[in-house]
Amino acid sequence: MKKVSIISPSCPAFSLPAEYAVGAGEELSLVIVVLPGVSVDIPLDITIEGEGASVNVDALYLCSGSEKVSLKVNMNHVSGGSVSNQLIRGVVGGNARTDFFGLIKVAPDAQKTEAYQSNYNLLLSEEAKVETRPQLEIYADDVKCSHGAAVGKLDEEEQFYMRSRGITLKEARALQMISFVSPVVEKIEDEATRTLVYNSLRTI
Amino acid sequence: MNDILLEIKNLHARVGEKEILKGVDLTIRKGEIHAVMGPNGAGKSTLSAVLAGKPQYEVTEGSITFMGRDLLAMAPEERSWAGIFLSFQYPVEIPGVSITNFMKTAVDCRREALGLEPMPTPEFMKLMKDKMNFVQMKPELRKRDMNAGFSGGEKKRNEIFQMALLDPVLSILDETDSGLDVDALRIVASGVNSLHTPEKASIVITHYQRLLDYIVPDVVHVLKDGRIVRTAGREIVAEIEEKGYDSIA
Repeated sequence: MKKVSIISPSCPAFSLPAEYAVGAGEELSLVIVVLPGVSVDIPLDITIEGEGASVNVDALYLCSGSEKVSLKVNMNHVSGGSVSNQLIRGVVGGNARTDFFGLIKVAPDAQKTEAYQSNYNLLLSEEAKVETRPQLEIYADDVKCSHGAAVGKLDEEEQFYMRSRGITLKEARALQMISFVSPVVEKIEDEATRTLVYNSLRTI
Repeated sequence: MNDILLEIKNLHARVGEKEILKGVDLTIRKGEIHAVMGPNGAGKSTLSAVLAGKPQYEVTEGSITFMGRDLLAMAPEERSWAGIFLSFQYPVEIPGVSITNFMKTAVDCRREALGLEPMPTPEFMKLMKDKMNFVQMKPELRKRDMNAGFSGGEKKRNEIFQMALLDPVLSILDETDSGLDVDALRIVASGVNSLHTPEKASIVITHYQRLLDYIVPDVVHVLKDGRIVRTAGREIVAEIEEKGYDSIA
């Protein structure tokens, strides 16, 4: 099951269910994009209850003004032999506030679990504030789990490379942002929606 | 003389607190290929970075004039528009941005600066195809992300492809030979050679003789500790290869 939610000023609510139970052999894929100009709280509570289940959460928030966006993911591996993958990216400018809280919990019986999570953020202004709180609670011993979180700025070496080809600083920044968000955006199958997301980067 | 393209006078530059270039003088005329050789840490890459306008490098003294313009007053993209191209020693990977999208942006930025409309897509695609063909790059690479997952040879070939497409007046090749096998070296060198015209010039920066077997310089400069300590004809390359940089002063 794949669900895509694009949250925008004209459609500002998170319209997907907050709770999911994923059974044996089932696949769940959530793609969530928050476009500039929206404040929203997104809670996700996902319980993996059967072997061979596969869960992907791909999320992106783009904030440019004084929005507050929070994303809270509880990934509960109750039974083993299943995989979860969280890819969360943020581009945060203006004086926006974002908060990512991600808990991966692996129960004692959930052996052979694979659970991955990454939250990378691009901070575009001094006034913006990014919080990232990844947490692991692992009670089984035969698992593969990893998490990574980072807050960074646009890379100057990349910018210099592009500018040396005649690309203006403004366009270089746009390409850098496209590069940064593309792992999430490419999960969206509809081309018009992908274009909408890429174009909204120019308003940040 | 009006055939002078580039004139560097008493150039001093530093990164952070460290002075790396300590008074470089260099004049390059139309039609010339200059090699800049030197040991590691001599300042070769700093010279190329300063010519292309890398922000972290601070010029503390001296001047650079390119086709009569004050190069140091220009942003990196303005230098590109004026006809300077730097082939990077370590080309940057930009996942998520295709070569096509990247080069279209580069071409259109320049056109916009010249007051022109963006290049029509069919015309651009033909240009891409011609230039990729020219450096023997596989056509399907145009859809690939810029340098992402490319081998060392593919990255350098991609640099020469970009050079061919942007058609610069002065090309600076910074250690283009590093990481290349002989076949890739030949393709890159023949690309550079066939792009050369009597109206253009190149600076080939290298540590080793190898690349200069394929791109034959008119003038060779030896850079040591931030200064050009010797300027000679191509015969000095063999001397360096035999005796090392210690013998040159």
